[in-house]
Amino acid sequence: MAAAGVVVEPKTKYDRQLRIWGDQGQAALEKASICLLNCGPTGTEALKNLVLGGIGSVTVVDGSKVEASDLGNNFLLDEGCLGQSRAKCICLFLQELNDAVKAKFVEESPATLIDTNPSFFSQFTIVIATQLQESSLLKLDDICRKADIVLVAARSYGLTGMVRVSVKEHCVTESKPDHFLDDLRLHNPWAELKQFAKSIDICDKDPVVHKHTPYIVILVRLAEKWADAHDGHLPSTRQEKREFKDLIRAHMLNIDEENYKEAVESSYKVSVAPGISDEIRQIIDDNSTEVSPSSSDFWILVAALKEFVANEGNGELPLEGTIPDMTSLTDYYVSLQKIYQAKAESDCLAMEHRVKDILKRIGRDPDSISRAYIKTFCKNARKLRVCRYRSIQEEFTSPILSEVQKYFTDEDYSYAINFYILLRAVDRLAANYNRLPGIFDSEIDEDIPRLKTVAASVLSDMGLNGAPLSEDLITEMCRFGGAEIHTVAAFIGGVASQEVIKLVTKQFCAVARNIYIQRNRPQISSFGIIT
Amino acid sequence: MASPDAAPTEPERWRDLDMLLARPGNLVEASFEPSPTVSRRRLTLLRRVISGLRDLLGSVVEVLVVGAGGLGCELLKDLALSGFKNLHVIDMDTIDVSNLNRQFLFRAQDVGKSKAEVAAKRVMERVSGVNIVPHFCRIEDKEIEFYSQFHIIVLGLDSIEARSYINSVACGFLEYDSNDEPIPETVKPMVDGGTEGFKGHARVIIPGKTPCFECIIWLFPPQVKFPLCTLAETPRTAAHCIEYAHLIKWDEVHPGKPFDADDAEHMQWIYSEALKRAELFGISGVTYSFTQGVVKNIIPAIASTNAIISAACALEAFKLISGCSKSVSNYLTYNGLDGTHIKVTEFVRDKDCLVCGPGTLIELDTSSTLSEFIKLLEEHPKLRMSKASVTHEGNNLYMQSPEVLEEMTRPNLSIPMFELLKCVPYTTVHATGMAENNGKKVSSLRKLRVAFKGVEETSKMDTTEAS
Amino acid sequence: MINLFKIKGQKKEEAASAAGKAPVKKQSAGELRLHKDISELNLPKTTSISFPNGKDDLMNFEIIIRPDEGYYMGGTFVFTFQVSPSYPHEPPKVKCKTKVYHPNIDLEGNVCLNILREDWKPVLNINTVIYGLNLLFTQPNDEDPLNHEAAVVLRDNPKMFEANVKRAMAGGYVGQHYFPRCA
Repeated sequence: MAAAGVVVEPKTKYDRQLRIWGDQGQAALEKASICLLNCGPTGTEALKNLVLGGIGSVTVVDGSKVEASDLGNNFLLDEGCLGQSRAKCICLFLQELNDAVKAKFVEESPATLIDTNPSFFSQFTIVIATQLQESSLLKLDDICRKADIVLVAARSYGLTGMVRVSVKEHCVTESKPDHFLDDLRLHNPWAELKQFAKSIDICDKDPVVHKHTPYIVILVRLAEKWADAHDGHLPSTRQEKREFKDLIRAHMLNIDEENYKEAVESSYKVSVAPGISDEIRQIIDDNSTEVSPSSSDFWILVAALKEFVANEGNGELPLEGTIPDMTSLTDYYVSLQKIYQAKAESDCLAMEHRVKDILKRIGRDPDSISRAYIKTFCKNARKLRVCRYRSIQEEFTSPILSEVQKYFTDEDYSYAINFYILLRAVDRLAANYNRLPGIFDSEIDEDIPRLKTVAASVLSDMGLNGAPLSEDLITEMCRFGGAEIHTVAAFIGGVASQEVIKLVTKQFCAVARNIYIQRNRPQISSFGIIT
Repeated sequence: MASPDAAPTEPERWRDLDMLLARPGNLVEASFEPSPTVSRRRLTLLRRVISGLRDLLGSVVEVLVVGAGGLGCELLKDLALSGFKNLHVIDMDTIDVSNLNRQFLFRAQDVGKSKAEVAAKRVMERVSGVNIVPHFCRIEDKEIEFYSQFHIIVLGLDSIEARSYINSVACGFLEYDSNDEPIPETVKPMVDGGTEGFKGHARVIIPGKTPCFECIIWLFPPQVKFPLCTLAETPRTAAHCIEYAHLIKWDEVHPGKPFDADDAEHMQWIYSEALKRAELFGISGVTYSFTQGVVKNIIPAIASTNAIISAACALEAFKLISGCSKSVSNYLTYNGLDGTHIKVTEFVRDKDCLVCGPGTLIELDTSSTLSEFIKLLEEHPKLRMSKASVTHEGNNLYMQSPEVLEEMTRPNLSIPMFELLKCVPYTTVHATGMAENNGKKVSSLRKLRVAFKGVEETSKMDTTEAS
Repeated sequence: MINLFKIKGQKKEEAASAAGKAPVKKQSAGELRLHKDISELNLPKTTSISFPNGKDDLMNFEIIIRPDEGYYMGGTFVFTFQVSPSYPHEPPKVKCKTKVYHPNIDLEGNVCLNILREDWKPVLNINTVIYGLNLLFTQPNDEDPLNHEAAVVLRDNPKMFEANVKRAMAGGYVGQHYFPRCA
């Protein structure tokens, strides 16, 4: 058993998350500095999750003193904190969770800080703004965009809430999608792969060899055979694909040869369209590939990628270099692995030369981008993602009406769009009346029609006169009275922290659109406004 | 505002929660009674003084949290801050260093201690008025009756087996009336959460109303198992080498000594054997960490996903008990891999589910023997089951086959069912045989609710006296 | 959903009624399904079954196979079955208790049978597994070996394989390994 004050190995402590984002992801987290505005439960919970995971540093900005109601929804505050600075108390507890994290606090109201000291924010990687009303949020978004700081805004409100990401551009190298077609190039095998396939007799009489010939070899050979009989074309129509499967089956010695079953199941991989996907085409055709000394490493690599595709790649991206497990003799499988690896390495080397040339051309140190990063980039070249978010101001002033209208009529989204409008309406109402609707029991009855009127004005400002707002939800918003319910805050804060992890590690994909709303009933769904 | 030295009053502290509990709404459950149940005008005056519904949550409702790990720690915190004051938590595990990246109630100095005990203590320290009873044991170690005291069970588990067990316990309390409608007082709702990396699920199980765990067990894909001959003859991946060392080589070298995945020396041995084998075959990728992952089937886990899923589960528990908003119906999935996607699927119950379904009601005389019972199944218009084998709570009363079991159980045939079923007035048995389904005789397994005519009153008295 | 006010009234009675009930053993869905499998067993004449822990523990049993044809005719082979509560989600764990010279069964009793691992599906049952085990004795297979040496002999020299099997079953050495008598 461990004694007090034990030192734990970070590798062991972080084991379960290193299995997701690896050492590089962890290193990025440990370098990141996060600023939290308002440490109610939503912000506190978001930060708690990040501190546990070993984020570099956190700075809590909050100007309030701990009140009785904080003890009913914030786990990090207890009786002993009453009357003290909320930021300070939260900071103390966060530090207890993980002493590797630097936790600081600023005892000031976020709204004041935004107004008086905009340059304060430029020191951070990400600013998490929670429970911030619209006017302050708009100012903060402007500040963050100018300084190229990522803004994650989170709001819990009764049983609803929202998380919004705002940054000019977020480039993802390792998007790690759940399902993605493996990069086998069966439609276009290179010389070494063809040669290896030819070296194996797919009609070997030895039943052990025959049932352990990897499907890659079977498909390369049979695709060639097919092409020879069809003017050099590969199977493309449904009929042809069916015939190709029959051709594979005709080579089976008996019906339970797993490798042939795999070959039939994978036969479509022979027919994939050559070249690059539309998504990647869009990225390499982006204006940012006209690189300058101020370009990011990501865009320099995309510029190199563009050159690669046009030259060595012959229209293809660098090979990923890994193969899935498949029924095979060990020798065959290991040889195939090496052939794929060798091609990936030579593609990567070509990329490295191009990267160096580009760096020289723009006057940067040719070795300033690490080989490891280039390798990661090449391995993930088919899955690159670029997300650009419109500013919150733009989202408000020029909404994409067709989308919004669609949400109103789609049963799955109508609650979400209602809440989106109503969350804006409560802030607008608060600006007029100096308080959120439904705060006082005695005024709920008056607040319901008020909120309805304000919501209608939000809609008409968007250019959506007469969109059908739900009476029930208006009443519900007033019932909520701006309450920050712990479970809802933990949910919204949890989503915010997950977004922060994705944004910091540049792995996986952050919410691509600007908005996410939780519906309280009967179903919950995600929802976005196209940027 | 409260002054620093005076303890805040409950209404002050629960101001936010009371917005939901004390105010009426249009989107609430029919059973919702915002408290105090007085007119809106009076409510305005009184709300700051009393909140009956919140008091009830705190005084009457007993909640069981199963698991004090990644989800369990969050659940205890979330439930304690939802106004529940009587909580129990059960977990057989002790704290490991690798828990500290997400199980926020534990510190480095707690490593090796009971998860349930430390978690309960930490939450009670921070949330005044909450009482949490820890149970440092296996869920199977508790008598079934232990589970009957809870009004809701919230599951933070990572195994199918444990989920299935709790599900069968909770569904076991469910009783149906003569119209095959669930009897409300016997319904024990569950909320179940699970996570893997950036993904997770939260679901509401209301036995008799929404699908139970067994109704939709197919949602969980079986674990991948490599063929043993691949491991022995044609290994190709690092995982093959590790599983060879784990499943084949260990027994060969250590006959009679069971492998213990929690013993670091054992794990080290597997790792070095796997590495040797990988080198022999030219396979790369065997690391100590990967070895642990394969052998222990480690599922990656992060704080944020646990927080999201637990919050969703606790919120559902809160809504189910209070009725202050409608419940998710009935299976929520969360996926944060690419953006944030939340989807709710409404699965349907399997009406013939052996665990939660009503089964068929059969009324018996206390004198009816097992063999008469079997004959009755054959004649029963809803069953028409021939060649029935009968089992009751783990006791095989009669087995048609195989011969050895038939011989062993044959003496039961002449014994009255009432006696075989331990003289209870009402119980559930299961029968297997050839039964009618859409006009065809097919092999079937059926749940039967057996009620003995005219014994209800007396037997209740008997048992009370006996106790 | 739950009537809290009703619960409040019930609370006092609870303790009294709970105390009277006898403790109940919980039967898992897996146990019930196994009950069905077992009660429907259709054992081939080569095969018998036994329940070492009595009639109420179906989760642990033994299958005894006495092949009536092929290389293994005259031998007696015992397999232990361990069925988990997650059955049929999980396949049963099967081991050969009798040390046997067989290409698909290793000396520790591991059995290479696809339906016990990679090809297991919940629609399969104990009968299917028993059928598969019988097949191993009538058609030992040299292409998916677990005992490599035995597989090589079977493939290259079936006569010698036959002799080795006989020797092992009668109790004796094959190569360096001693096999206790099982015939």
